[in-house]
Order: sequence, then C-alpha cells, then structure tokens
Amino acid sequence: MKLSSFRYIVPQAFKSMLHNGLMTVAAILTITISLFLCTAFWLLIINIDANARQVEEDVRVLAYLKEDIPDGQEEGQAEAQPEAQGEGQPAALPEAQSAVQPEAQPEIEPEAQTEGQTEGQAEEEQEKQLEEKYAVIRDEIMAIPGVASCEFISKEEGIKDLGSRFGGVDLKETLGGANPLPDLFSIMAETTDDVAVIAEKVSEIEAVDVVRYGEGTVEKLFALTDAMRRVGVAVMILLALAAVVLIAMTIRLAVVARKKEIMVMKWVGATNAFIRLPFLLEGVFLGLLGGLLALVLVLIAYVNAGDYLASTISFVLVLDIGQIWLKTAGFTLAAGLILGIFGSLFPLANRFMDV
Amino acid sequence: MLIQTISLGKKYKNGIVALSDINLSIDYGEFIFLTGESGAGKSTLIRLLFREELPSSGQILISGRSSIRLSKKDIVRLRRNTGVVFQDFRLMERNTVFDNVAFALKAVERPWDEIKKRVPRVLERVGLAGREQENVMHLSGGEQQRVAIARAIINNPIILFADEPTGDLDPRTSMELMQLFNEINEQGTTLVMATHDKTIVDAFNKRVLTLSAGRLISDSVGGWQL
Repeated sequence: MKLSSFRYIVPQAFKSMLHNGLMTVAAILTITISLFLCTAFWLLIINIDANARQVEEDVRVLAYLKEDIPDGQEEGQAEAQPEAQGEGQPAALPEAQSAVQPEAQPEIEPEAQTEGQTEGQAEEEQEKQLEEKYAVIRDEIMAIPGVASCEFISKEEGIKDLGSRFGGVDLKETLGGANPLPDLFSIMAETTDDVAVIAEKVSEIEAVDVVRYGEGTVEKLFALTDAMRRVGVAVMILLALAAVVLIAMTIRLAVVARKKEIMVMKWVGATNAFIRLPFLLEGVFLGLLGGLLALVLVLIAYVNAGDYLASTISFVLVLDIGQIWLKTAGFTLAAGLILGIFGSLFPLANRFMDV
Repeated sequence: MLIQTISLGKKYKNGIVALSDINLSIDYGEFIFLTGESGAGKSTLIRLLFREELPSSGQILISGRSSIRLSKKDIVRLRRNTGVVFQDFRLMERNTVFDNVAFALKAVERPWDEIKKRVPRVLERVGLAGREQENVMHLSGGEQQRVAIARAIINNPIILFADEPTGDLDPRTSMELMQLFNEINEQGTTLVMATHDKTIVDAFNKRVLTLSAGRLISDSVGGWQL
C-alpha cells in the first residue's frame, strides 16, 4: 500500500459516511450511548473504589459515650455493672457519621443560658464535673498503646458537623430541637493495624457505649464495586454488541452502495487492502466520532454530578476530573476504535470483497 | 501462448452446465470473436478467462500458469494486465468522465501527477478529447461505452475482454466502436470479444470461436459460422 493512496482512501471513507447519512448518524449515536454508559459506569466504579480505599486507610476509632456517665468513672474504675440501660442509650447513628472526618475542636460548648444565679451555679458545677469525667476518659484512652491522638466531639458539634455535610442544613432545627447524637471521642491510631485492638480496648471503658471504626464498611463498599463490575461488564458487552452490529450494518450498506466501484477495482487489479481500507477506515471514524461524543458528554456529566455531590453530601470522595480525564479519554476513544474496527471487519470478511 | 484452456468446464450450483470440454488457445496480439446464441456460454467463458469465476473442471493456463493456483498477488498482477468491457458499460453514474477513467489508475495506486497526464491522453485515443468534466449520464450510449473502453485500456493491458460491447447500441454506433476496438488491437492489445451480432463478425475477417450449448463447435477464421 502506497502512502499516496491515502489521498483516495481517507476522503472515500468520509464521502461514504456522508452518503450513508441516516445510517451513519444512527451508528454514531449508538456508539455514543454505549460508550457514554460504559464510561459512566467505569467512573462510578473507580470512584466507589477510591471511597472504599479511603475508608480502609482511615485510622480513626469513634467511641460514642453513654448519656449518663457512671460516677465511678471519675475515679477511673471500670465498674462491672453498666448503668442507665433505658433512656440513656443513644439512638442508632447514621452510617455517615462513622465515616466522617470531623474537624471539630475538643472544647465543650457552654450549655444553655442560666435562669437564676443558683441554677446557673448548679449547672456550671455539673459541667465542671462532666469535664473532669471526660478528662479521665481521655487519659484512659491515651494510655492504650498505639493511640496517636484523641479528640472530644460534643453532641452539639457533632450535629452541626453532620448538618454541614448534608449541604449546610440545621439538623437540630429540622429534628425539632432534639439532638439524637451522643458525645464522642475521635481516636486516631498510629497505624491501621492497631485500629481493631484499640477499638476492642476502648469498648471496655465503662463510659463508652458503642465503638465504631471502618469495620464492615470497607467490605461492603468493595462488595458493591465487585458487584457493579460484574453487572458493568455484562452491560458493557451487550452495549458493545449493539454498537458492533450497527457499525457492521452501516459498513455493509456502504459496501452495497459501492458495489460497482468495488467490482471495477477488482477488474483493474486493486489489492485487497486498497479495496477494504476505505470501509475499515469508515468503521474507525464512526467508532472514534461516537467515542469523542461520548467522552464530551461523560465529562460534562461527571463535572456536574461531582459539583452536585460536593454541595449535598460532601463526605463522599469524588475523584478530581483533572486526575482522571486522560485515562477516561483513553478508555473511551480506545473502546470506540476497537468497536469501529470490529464492526467493519464483519462485512469486510465477505468473499465479494476478495480480489 | 497467452491463454490456453484444457477441457474447461463450468457447472453452476443449480446444476446448469454452462460450459463443457472447452479446448482453445489464444496467442498474443490476436483478435477473436466469441459467437453463439444467447445462453451458449460466451459470457461464462469470458468470466472464467478474466478469473471473475473459477472453472469447475479443466484448466486455464495464463502464460503457462494455472489460473486456479494463482496467489492473491498474482491475481492482482493478472488483472492489471487485463482489461474488461461490458454490454451495460458499468460506469459510476454520479461521476464525471475524468473520475470514471481516473478511478482505474487510482485503484492501482498510480501517483496523481501521472493520473492527470494519462486520462486526457486515453480519452483522446477513444475519441472523447475535452469531455473530461462531463457527467457520464449526460453522454450517449456509444460515448458511455467509449468511457468504459478508456477505463479498460488506460493501464495498457495485454489482453482486453469485451462482453457484448455493442449489444445496447445502434448499428452505426456499433461499427464506430468496432473501429476503435480494431485500432486498439492493431496497437498490440489481444482482444477477445463476445458478440451475437452477425453483421459485426462478418465485417471483420477475424478468428471466430463458436459456442453452442456450452460446447465449442467451431474455431475458424472468417465470418459467422452458425
């Protein structure tokens, strides 16, 4: 094949695409839709994967405190009998709370305004006692080997923080002034290996009600990505098949439309490559055009979805478009190219195309 | 010897025997009429000779080599040395005279500069000088066949096959075209022409092969044999 022949072959492929009109549009749109869905699925999977990895790398243990901290705690003694079974139990925590990275300060917020002098004094006294109790718990936690730091997060801070993660809503107001969250200690382990042991030790502290860390969540997320990958592959194969069939039909039509030219080419001694290349190229152009369209659409959709997620549920990690656009472009265009080549190979395998 | 057939036969899948036991030889520079009634097997023989179809029995030797055993490369080489013209011209209707003729050069990957020079020359040879930019559908039947001839001879083939080239043309135009074919033959191209036009065969004192029901019934020089 001479390089100069591409002067004929390349325009021929474009002419044929124009001549095929509607069929070309249908083929490109099918490829676009197929690749858009495939790429979107792929992006979803890598994002869930990244979130799972982030949770996995989380070295935090959250220790939710009981509503009424037993007095014995003040002396640092762990009592055998847990108190306050009934009303003191914190409500089930939202799943999100266990995966958050709080930035709250360790201070305790002052409670509500005092009504009278004596009442105010009593409350201050109570607060002081509580603070002392918390200090003791903190010391106990810090004494556990492998703990790097420990941070107190009051229920007030907790609800504010949670609200801000769901797009800045005032959750307390939404819940009619009630705050179902308990006070908690956010404990950082030195390494991920220590997390389980620390959690175990922390749960033994009398004042601690529930201990949460990434356990289960990571497995669930990985199981989700795994399932999605399987479904994704099945969907991708079906969509790719549809695209290949449509490309094949388009190229077949192009072959039929140029039957006479193909015959003449054969009579005058054109090579197989020269006869087939314009059609193969047409398939490649269809695939690449569909891929390019899909890429543009998917990137626009990704940026918008990312912005939306960031403004509504900010604890979800959305991979930056700058990091992944090149990979995405490579994925989409390569898929388009492969579909195009496959689609055109079928009609070109016809014996009619042989010299 | 350019072409030789040995016990050549063609039987189609539907059971019809189009040709049987054809033995003939064609030498360089010959002008041969292939005659016979419709359905006698003229077109089939031509298709076998330019390897559009393969024989079901017997052999065709082209310059001593069997046509069945040719590699793809050899087939391409054979086709580049062969020209073919049909009754229905088989032109690309939407294209100009130039594009139709130039297509034969493009397909064998000749450089553009050469194509631009050679197309007007061959058009002059077939009597269509200056008609390059006309759409082929605006030409008369005779002129369209001249375009087809130009396309067939532009690669300077050793042999030219013509399957009823004057079949759709009036007698006067037919004779004009026959003059052109004669000139092409005189310039060295071997010519094998299938025709059932007695007037044409009688007008030229050439070798005549006569087919009847798929068999070669005569091979002689002179006029119409049937």
